[in-house]
Amino acid sequence: MDTVIQTTDLHKSFGPVKALDGLDLEVHAGEIHGFLGPNGAGKSTTLRILLGLARASSGSASVLGKDPWGDAVELHRRVASVPGDVSIWPNLSGGEAIDLISRLRGGVDDAAYRERKQQLCELFDFDPSKKGRAYSKGNRQKVALIAALVTPAEVYLLDEPTSGLDPLMEAVFTREVRRLSRENGASVLLSSHILSEVEQLADRVSIIRSGRIVDGGTLDSLRHLTRTEISFAQDSVDTTALAALSQIHDLAVAEGRIKFGVDSDRVHEVLPLLGSLGVKGLLVAPPSLEELFLRHYGDQVAPAAPEPTHDGAPHRRRHRTVAKTGA
Amino acid sequence: MPTVWVLYRQRLRRDRWQLLSWVLSIGVLAWFAVEAITKTFGDEASRAQVLKLATATPAILVLRGLARGPGLDSFTFFEIFTFLALLAGFMNTFMAVRHTRAEEESGRAELVSATAAGRWAPFAATVLHGIVANLVLAAAVALGFMGGGLAPAGSVVAGLATGAVGLAFLGVGLLAAEFFSTSRAANGISATLVMVAYLLRGFGDATGSVSPDGMTVTAAWPSWISPIGWGQQTFAYTGNQLWPLLLPVGLATVCGAVVVLIMSRRDVGASILVGRRGRWEARPWLRGPFALAWRLQQGSIIGWCAGGFATGLITGSLGSAIQSTLNSNASITAALREMIQAQGTSMTQLLVAALFEIAGVLAAACGVQAILRMRQEEAAGTAEFVLSEPVGRVRWLGSFMGLGAISVVLVMAFTALGAWLSLVASGDTSTAVGDVWATGVAQLPAALIYLAVPAVVFVVWPRATIPAGWALLGIGVVLGVYGGMVGLDQKIVDLSPFTHTPVVTDTGTDWSGGFWMLGIAAVIAVIALVTVPRREVGTA
Ligand SMILES: Nc1ncnc2c1ncn2[C@@H]1O[C@H](COP(=O)(O)OP(=O)(O)O)[C@@H](O)[C@H]1O
Ligand SMILES: [Mg+2]
Repeated sequence: MDTVIQTTDLHKSFGPVKALDGLDLEVHAGEIHGFLGPNGAGKSTTLRILLGLARASSGSASVLGKDPWGDAVELHRRVASVPGDVSIWPNLSGGEAIDLISRLRGGVDDAAYRERKQQLCELFDFDPSKKGRAYSKGNRQKVALIAALVTPAEVYLLDEPTSGLDPLMEAVFTREVRRLSRENGASVLLSSHILSEVEQLADRVSIIRSGRIVDGGTLDSLRHLTRTEISFAQDSVDTTALAALSQIHDLAVAEGRIKFGVDSDRVHEVLPLLGSLGVKGLLVAPPSLEELFLRHYGDQVAPAAPEPTHDGAPHRRRHRTVAKTGA
Repeated sequence: MPTVWVLYRQRLRRDRWQLLSWVLSIGVLAWFAVEAITKTFGDEASRAQVLKLATATPAILVLRGLARGPGLDSFTFFEIFTFLALLAGFMNTFMAVRHTRAEEESGRAELVSATAAGRWAPFAATVLHGIVANLVLAAAVALGFMGGGLAPAGSVVAGLATGAVGLAFLGVGLLAAEFFSTSRAANGISATLVMVAYLLRGFGDATGSVSPDGMTVTAAWPSWISPIGWGQQTFAYTGNQLWPLLLPVGLATVCGAVVVLIMSRRDVGASILVGRRGRWEARPWLRGPFALAWRLQQGSIIGWCAGGFATGLITGSLGSAIQSTLNSNASITAALREMIQAQGTSMTQLLVAALFEIAGVLAAACGVQAILRMRQEEAAGTAEFVLSEPVGRVRWLGSFMGLGAISVVLVMAFTALGAWLSLVASGDTSTAVGDVWATGVAQLPAALIYLAVPAVVFVVWPRATIPAGWALLGIGVVLGVYGGMVGLDQKIVDLSPFTHTPVVTDTGTDWSGGFWMLGIAAVIAVIALVTVPRREVGTA
């Protein structure tokens, strides 16, 4: 399969801060690639290097087989992008900004362009006649999105493109990106810190943490790496036989139920034993990507920890990261 | 009350350096004026002579004030008060908008209003902040005049007059902030009103009635509708009247009351005038970074050109006025040469040289601003949009620099045009009329240096661009334009580009300084263009 984006051992430091620390990323032609990671993980830095706005400290990066820093102008004719932090000209209207950006890309002002622009403005429920300073965060984001989507490109580099959009608009965005990928065969690198956003669109994902790819692959293959949670009523079941099995992890008793985790691809090996034990109230919880994801985000989220802590602790941790990188 | 106090402290903290530099500059300027006048027109006879010239030349009165005899103190008040009041006006309108509309625009006001502070506490804190600032300003001006050796009572009156004018414009600024949805518009309109107040009283003073001995002028009615004109009516030192100050203080009160009325009826963030709607589509010419640079700066470039044109017009009218009333009396020419610190042989040349120097600074400021605009683009993040498209960095920088160079030339062209028109209209037929074009060209090299140097700073040390740009211009002006006057060492004065601006005379013009600076500007510009591809794009 053709590779459109490749980085090898990419490093980028800002003074003492190592934003990227040996990043290896590969995006195949025609795929939508989710680029997931907590705030401050280095997603924007990666995309800025791929756009030739920032220069790597060491390592190599290529987009469409070219050097993003050296061949920036040539590449930008074929690459569309949405920046991570969208700001627009306060005294230009949204319509003017969209026209300007697409003209810079070399788009022609023909009827087809106008029609497409009009269509996108309607889809995103966007009024292009307001001055830039009058737009809300979500509307500024729409300017960037429409400008990126209005003229065709081979590669799309989208940095948290749905931030500030309401769920309805997110759905519009998802549909448009899917269409780009299906109809035009475009490749998309989509960064996000929210799994659910990427889950709907991405063919493959790479998870970045502290400037490094810590996990990746198709969503299904990632699911295989997770554990399925099984629990049943305690009653008077003898669990010694269970504890001896190597497929079983973190066996525990809580609130009258016995709980444990099983490697997802080995669940079938455990089921016969459960049958012979005659367990009651059996619950088999499918692997959750969220959990895998949080495990990569947080410092030490135990896979079999009770539910409430799943929702509580990692979220708090996430907010802390926000505060740190907010400046 | 404690909330107001907390908010007041926050304003003080935020403004401390900015306000301190305004207040100190204005105070020091007052002191400087006394020193300079004592040095240049030490005796009453020479002051009387200059006063006679001035009162006979309405155009000079526009830039000075109302004459009240040749005493050192009243002469100083005549020379400098309106300018101090003008500065006080700008200080106050910017301060008012900074703490009101700018806060609302940025959304910070909403944060504060959502707390226990409500919507009135921030306003009260701003008013308190303004009143205190103007009291301090009054003290600084009084001390400045006293420091120069003028009478304490009159100095206090002059200080209070400055502070009261400042207070009036605080009210104007606060009111403007209610009307416009952006701080840019509010600043623009209120600064324009300050200018209008200055010009109104200029017009009133110039058309006032002059006493038979030419030593005193009584203002015509336009001065009476200007806060700066009201301040003048105190006639510090000779009259020491305080009642005219009721007018500016009253205006401030009325403005404040109207603001309260409007604020009690509007939402946070709303304004009386709603911003204009924009275009659905960009105009066909808005393609490419040069067009964008123009689109972003057209307003300010037109403003700079208008400033140049106005400066040019003044040159012509001043020159012809002096020529016709005095027919170039040699001793008066010498006196005037001292007064405006310029070279030149004929009276017209003298004025052209002096005022084109100002226009040259204007053109240089225009050049600096072209580069600062680009840095603002980068800091705001909009540059990223442009550079994520097929636009090379050299083309990007080149576009802004190219437009900067064009606007520098335009400013000087409009200055020369203004001077030429007004000189021709006045019937002046001397060779100096043709010289205005050459004098305009002579200012270009120094101004272009102020385009090239900030461009290099922008490439190698982006964060320093804005402070370095203005600081370099300020230092250049102080050294080059005022350095000689205060007796600085020539080696230091030579550091300023303005020192090397060729002086056009009919005895032969030495253009070498201009060619040198043009060469240096070109080399620096090339360095900027060659190094910019190596630079990253960022907001930091
Ligand atoms: N211009 C910069 N100067 C200094 N540090 C930076 C700069 N840009 C990014 N960083 C740091 O690099 C790290 C990665 O940031 P970023 O790529 O923006 O993360 P993400 O987009 O994943 O949230 C963060 O720790 C951030 O603080
Ligand atoms: Mg980011």
